[in-house]
Amino acid sequence: MIDTAVAVSGLTKIFAVPFHRRPIVAVRDLDLRVQAGEVYGLLGPNGSGKSTTLKIVLGLVSPTRGHTEIFGRDSRLVESREAVGFLPENPYFYKFLTGEETLRFFGKLSGLSGPRLKKRIDELLELVGLTNARDRRLSTYSKGMLQRVGLAQALINEPKLITLDEPTAGVDPAGSREIRNLIVDLKRRGITILLSSHLLAQVQEICDRVGILANGVLVREGQLEELIAIENQTALVLENASDALVTEIEALAGNSNAKLIERRRSTTTLERLFLEVTKDPNKQ
Amino acid sequence: MAEAKHRSFSFQRVFALTVNTLIELTRQKVFYVLLIFALLLIGSSIFMARLTFQQEFQILKDVSLGAMSIFTSLLAIVATARLIPQDIEDRTIYTILAKPVPRFEYVLGKLAGVLLLLAIGTLVMSAMFLVVLYTREQTVLHETLRQMSAAPREQVDDALRAVRSSALNLDILPGVAVIYLKACLLAALTLFVSTFATTNIFTMVVMVFIYFIGHLQATAREYWLQEQSAGWITHALLAFVALLFPDLQTFNLVDDIVAGAAIPFALFAKTAALGIFYTTIYTLLAALVFYGKEL
Repeated sequence: MIDTAVAVSGLTKIFAVPFHRRPIVAVRDLDLRVQAGEVYGLLGPNGSGKSTTLKIVLGLVSPTRGHTEIFGRDSRLVESREAVGFLPENPYFYKFLTGEETLRFFGKLSGLSGPRLKKRIDELLELVGLTNARDRRLSTYSKGMLQRVGLAQALINEPKLITLDEPTAGVDPAGSREIRNLIVDLKRRGITILLSSHLLAQVQEICDRVGILANGVLVREGQLEELIAIENQTALVLENASDALVTEIEALAGNSNAKLIERRRSTTTLERLFLEVTKDPNKQ
Repeated sequence: MAEAKHRSFSFQRVFALTVNTLIELTRQKVFYVLLIFALLLIGSSIFMARLTFQQEFQILKDVSLGAMSIFTSLLAIVATARLIPQDIEDRTIYTILAKPVPRFEYVLGKLAGVLLLLAIGTLVMSAMFLVVLYTREQTVLHETLRQMSAAPREQVDDALRAVRSSALNLDILPGVAVIYLKACLLAALTLFVSTFATTNIFTMVVMVFIYFIGHLQATAREYWLQEQSAGWITHALLAFVALLFPDLQTFNLVDDIVAGAAIPFALFAKTAALGIFYTTIYTLLAALVFYGKEL
C-alpha cells in the first residue's frame, strides 16, 4: 500500500516568454508530499504557482526540472491518471450535452462502459444532487450546478486522488457549502484530496494539512491546527456562564502570569447566518 | 473498484471523442449554411437552359462536383480550425487530458469527428446530385423516345445509349471519393496548423494560402522549369515547396469526369493513396506538435 499519494521533488517550472528579457519562474524547487487519505490545501495568492503545480502533477504541463509522482507512478505517464480525478478552475464543459451525457462521455474516456457506467452515472448524479437535472443541457445549469457536475466527472472513475482547483470559485454560499460537504464526504471514504484555493476560511474548515506558496516557493507547510495555533494563547468558550463566573475567571487570570487578551461574546459566521436566513424550506 | 489495466490505445476512447466532436460540429450553423448552399447549387442546375443533352449533363456534373469540392474543402478548414484551440480556451481540454487519454488519441478522435462530418456532407450532396442527374436523364430519355418514335429500332437504341453514357455513369463515384479525400487532407492539414497557431484567424489565413498554393504550384512549377534555365537552387526550392504543400490539383478529376473520360483505376488508386498518405502524415505531425504543447 503506497502511503504517499502525491510526491513532488525539486519541482521547477520556467515559462519562456517571447520578446521579454526575463522568463517567468512559476514554481521554484518545490518539495511536497500529500499523504494518502488526507485533504491537502495548496494555498497562495494569484500567480503564486498553485495551478501550475497542479497541472504538472497531472501531467498536463511538463516540468523544467524535478519530478512528480502519483501513487508511486511518474505523473507524466498516461496510466498515472487512472487513479485521478480533476476539476479545473472555472471548468467549461460541452454545453450541448446534458448532465448525464457529460458523465457518460467522461466515463467512456475513463474506460467505463455498459451497465457499470450507467450505474456509476446514477450514483454520482445522486451524490451531487443533480438527478432531477440529468436530462437538461449544461447550457441551462447554474454555476453551482456546473461545479457539481464537474465534481461528478472527476469522480466517475472512482479515483483514489481528487485534484480540485478553486472548487468553490464563483459559487454562491449555499452551493459552496454543498461542495464542501461533498469534499468532507469524500475524505470520509478515504479519497485523497489535493485542492488549491485562496478562500482561506473555507480551506480552514476542511483541510488537514496546507502548503502556502508565494512567488513559486513553498513558504510554509504543515498540519493546519499547528500552523494557525497561537502558541501562548488559550481560548475558552462558555455557555450559560453568569457574569459573576466570568468576573471570577478574569480575576484568576489577573492573579497569575496570564493576561486576558479579549473578552467578547461568541459569534457565528456570516456564512452560517446567510445560509440560515436564505434557506428554502421547500428545497430537499 | 479494481484497477483495470491501462490500454495504451483504446477504440472506445477515440470513438467517444469522435462522436462528441461530430455532435459539436453539427451544432454549428456554418455546417448547415454551407450544406444548404451546396444543395441549392446542385438542385438549381436542373433548371438551367436546355442545350444539347451532352452539354447539359456536362454542366450539371461540373456545377455539382464543383460545389461539392468547394463545400467540403471549406467545411474541412472551417470546422477543424477551431476544434483544439476552442477546447484549450474553454479549458475543456484539461478535464479530458486529466483522464487517462493519450494526446494522440485526443487528436485522432477530433480529426475522426471532422472526417465523419465530411463523409455525411459528401453523402448527402452525392445523393442530391445523383437524384438530379437521374431525373434529368429520365426526362431526356423520354423526350428522345418521343422525338424518335418513328425512327428504326437500332437508331433509337443508339440514341438512348448515348444519353445514358452522358448522364449517370460509374466514373462519377471515384470523382466523389477523391473530392472527399482532398477534404480529409485539408482537415488534417488544418488540424496540424491549429496545433501551433496562436489564433484562429492565423490558421484560416494560412490554410487559404496553402489552398491557393496547392492548386497553383503545379502550373507554377512547369512555368519555372520551362521558361528559365533553372539551377539546382531553383530545383531544390521547387522540390521543397512540392514536398511541403500538397499538389491539390492532383485531386481534381472533375474535368475528366465532365468530359466523359473514364477514370483509370490506376489513376484513382494513386490519387487515393496520395490523399491517404498526406492525411496520415499531417495527422502524425499534428499529434507530434500537440504532444509537446504547453497547455
